[in-house]
Amino acid sequence: MGSPLSLHILFYIGPVAVSAPVVVTWAIMLLLSVGAWLLTRRLSVHASTRQAALEVVVAAIQTQIRDTMRTDPEPYLPLIGTLFLFIFTANWSSLIPGAEPPTAHIETDAALALIVFFAVAYYGIKARGLFGYAATFAEPSILMMPLNLIETITRTFSLVVRLFGNVMSGVFVVGIVLSLVGLLVPVPLMALDLLTGAVQAYIFSVLAMVFIAGVLGSDSEPKQRKGK
Amino acid sequence: MHFDWSTLVLQTVNVLVLLWLLRRFLFRPVVAIVAERKAAAEKLLSDAAAKREEAETQLAAATARDQVVMADRDRILAEAHTAAETQRTELLAQAAQEIARNREAATVTLARENADMRRALEAEAQDLAVAIAGRLLGRLPAETIDTILQQSLGGWIGSLPADDPRGLTEDDGPLVVATSGPLSEPVRAMLRQRFSGRKLEFKVDPALILGIEVMGGHARLRNNWRADLESIAKELKVDDKPIVLA
Repeated sequence: MGSPLSLHILFYIGPVAVSAPVVVTWAIMLLLSVGAWLLTRRLSVHASTRQAALEVVVAAIQTQIRDTMRTDPEPYLPLIGTLFLFIFTANWSSLIPGAEPPTAHIETDAALALIVFFAVAYYGIKARGLFGYAATFAEPSILMMPLNLIETITRTFSLVVRLFGNVMSGVFVVGIVLSLVGLLVPVPLMALDLLTGAVQAYIFSVLAMVFIAGVLGSDSEPKQRKGK
Repeated sequence: MHFDWSTLVLQTVNVLVLLWLLRRFLFRPVVAIVAERKAAAEKLLSDAAAKREEAETQLAAATARDQVVMADRDRILAEAHTAAETQRTELLAQAAQEIARNREAATVTLARENADMRRALEAEAQDLAVAIAGRLLGRLPAETIDTILQQSLGGWIGSLPADDPRGLTEDDGPLVVATSGPLSEPVRAMLRQRFSGRKLEFKVDPALILGIEVMGGHARLRNNWRADLESIAKELKVDDKPIVLA
């Protein structure tokens, strides 16, 4: 296992370098997609135990979106659910020997934060219109516009750094302890790393919801309902 | 630390593709099936509510029908009660009339049967009286009977009226004198004297029990127990009255 700070290029597709986090991400995508297809191919009104568990997970995400954003969770469920499931699975991919979590590399975290950044702008423009969304930067007064613009950038960076720092540090600590002492000693630290990974997935998703909800405004719910 | 821009682009594309995949294969189907179940549950509830409303409507209709039926039942019962009361009164009146008629008929029948019985008894009594009289006379000595006959005939002949009683002398034929026993010569002489000028033929007839019977022409003069008993019986048949013994 190499350093999380260094990127190991596995191969090239033309001029594009394909690194290890990308390959692990593909594996995670395959796992989640095939798993989702297998779980949802025989859905029935009379739910089986497996379907009921799946519905519980989706319902929990919907409930979290509804509680956090105070709006209908339907339009935001794919984005928030995908972010949570991907980050959670990526963080827990460290359980597989030889695999390194893609979120331990800043490029993956930056990609996630970039998606959140554009999603915030997309939902803001969709809910308020272009000028309405732009007007949110002048709240509560026009004087706050520079700070709001800076905050939009910095909070995106904070998303990146928070997730990257937590996951990378965990991988670092486990790697250092594993190289210094025996085989079973890092197990508690790995368990703690799993907990950290789950919490970070939750935090990233909640922050994404908060950022999106912040641009929807107080009248977002009626607009959403009217749009439906 | 090195930042690889191609990895950033690839990871961004990867996450967007994963978003599309999960939306296509996970979230949309699950949300759809939950919505379908919710719709089915709501439909079930609405159907149940509709069924309940329909049942309540039917119950109300059934209750109304029951009330109508109960009213009809009460009315029919009242009418039946009235009709039964009327019929009972009529039947009672008819029964009373029938009883009165039967009682009257029974009274008549009973009176007739009593009369028949009484007549039968009287006939039996007459026969019995004849039998008793014959038996009692049979127990008496022949001399005593003869004495009684002679004495009673003597008195009877003496009590006959002087003119022709009963038209015995309307023709010239002989008078037949029948007695229960042989007559003595004095009594015969008294008879010849009483019916002087007429030829007398004497004969004995035990059926007379005790006494005499004089027959001539179309008339006869009777003074015997047999005649008395027949006379009594005839009076009973004519008068239809009970026997009164003096």
